[in-house]
Amino acid sequence: MLKLKNLVAGYGSIVALKSISLEVAQGSIVTLIGANGAGKTTTMRTIMGLIRPSQGEILFEGRDITKFKTHEIASMGISLVPEGRSILARMTVLENLEMGAYQRKDKEIESDMEKVFGRFPILGERKSQLGGTLSGGQQQMLAIGRALMARPKLMLLDEPSMGLAPLVVSEIFKVIKEISAGGTTVLLVEQNVRQAIKIADYAYVMETGKIVLEGNARDVGRDPRVMEAYLGGKQA
Amino acid sequence: MDILNPYYLQIVTFILINAILGISIYITLSTGQMSLGNAGFMSLGAYASAILTMKLGLPLAFGIFTGGVLAALVALLIGLPTTRLQGLYLAIATLGFGEVIRVVALNLEITNGALGISGIPSLSITLGKVFNSTGLAEALSLDFQVAGQLGLVVLLLLILICVLTFQLLLEKSRIGRAFAAIKEDEHAAEVMGVNVVYYKMLSFIIGAFVAGLAGALYAHSTFFINPTDFSYHKVVDILLYAVFGGSNVIWGPVLGAFILTLLPEVLRFMADYRAMLYGALLVIMMVFRPNGILSRELAAKIRTFLCFGKKSPGGDRQ
Repeated sequence: MLKLKNLVAGYGSIVALKSISLEVAQGSIVTLIGANGAGKTTTMRTIMGLIRPSQGEILFEGRDITKFKTHEIASMGISLVPEGRSILARMTVLENLEMGAYQRKDKEIESDMEKVFGRFPILGERKSQLGGTLSGGQQQMLAIGRALMARPKLMLLDEPSMGLAPLVVSEIFKVIKEISAGGTTVLLVEQNVRQAIKIADYAYVMETGKIVLEGNARDVGRDPRVMEAYLGGKQA
Repeated sequence: MDILNPYYLQIVTFILINAILGISIYITLSTGQMSLGNAGFMSLGAYASAILTMKLGLPLAFGIFTGGVLAALVALLIGLPTTRLQGLYLAIATLGFGEVIRVVALNLEITNGALGISGIPSLSITLGKVFNSTGLAEALSLDFQVAGQLGLVVLLLLILICVLTFQLLLEKSRIGRAFAAIKEDEHAAEVMGVNVVYYKMLSFIIGAFVAGLAGALYAHSTFFINPTDFSYHKVVDILLYAVFGGSNVIWGPVLGAFILTLLPEVLRFMADYRAMLYGALLVIMMVFRPNGILSRELAAKIRTFLCFGKKSPGGDRQ
């Protein structure tokens, strides 16, 4: 569904992605793991067209979207749940969700919103509240709900567990699993390697702008290097 | 009717024009763009309408409307590069644009250089004639000048209401939601599928149109314009209406224009100390109301208060 081929991108003279290639198969959950500064967020931003790659190409459903503008990429069916959530703080929960469905014009927006409230009842209770007044976990739910409102074919999640309490983290990961079961393909960037590996089908490990390891999520989780670096030593 | 003396009516005229100018910068600000080019757009409208009506003898209404359209067209041209700029960079670029327009007006023959254009067809005289011919002025026992000025005030009020209504409807529309999202977080809006460049251009152009319209109205209300009318001083004035009154609610710039136009007149008795006190008041206001007088919270409170009895408080959302 999504294919990155030898992607090179960066900020000014700093090269953050040094020829990245990866593939996300339809219906799967693929996770991209790695330490801070490895280039995970840059990869997401480049897919979304927020950063222009200097080399390489991005294919979505077989189409080259490398030169597309961000809003065009969004309309094609890719939704990003950005790092730090980017909630529209001065808009209500309801308005945030409406914005998620911005490029849609069909009549099922209302029923999709009910589905989001069904998935996250707390958002339903607080729908007239301003986005900025929600707790971190609720904001993350809102960010995911907002992305769902676009009915994406592919959802990009950038560190959804960041700064959240462990209990909330498990809930978020449960929801990601459900979203995937609902037919949406997921590319998940995470530092919470243990959780990410648990729900993913396939995993890529990034280090300083390169992919250093890839494979079935379970195998990657058992790799001694990954265990050493991200899972706190050699445990079973 | 003492209250209808020409001096008071003139102040009201300026309040209304300035309120329209305040809204023009508010519209551009509603996508988070701080444009300081509105004095430039205002002068485009003013000169265009003055020249069209004087040299070509076109009707006032046509001249005024064309003034707005011309400002919008120029905004379309300069907006292509400038809407990509952020924050202060946009402010500087648009400030530069305004200066270019001023210097051009200073050097062109058709704008009559530094001397400016005088004897611009007057809206109030035109309206006064209408009053006289209909016999309305006589019926109300108003003299010609007052009748004309009163007509001008009514006309400007109607235009202000039109502009306000337009913007309020816009804010409730799909376009308005895109504007608000861009103002909140440009990248987030883009990721949600909002064509950010398009909507920023749109708000820039609408703002320029309204400023051009206000400029044309200004020209036909004062009968005399020169390049100094549209200098840095005007830029700051327009910005102040929004900042002082509150730039997050449309009534903010209207209130700002009202207070800041009235204040120098009220302070007239202070003679030479007037400017000093005006400045001091600005500083004091900004210390106590850093977001302008009319903040979103205050506006919401007032709305609840006004709706009390009609609607349950807070029930106006969604």
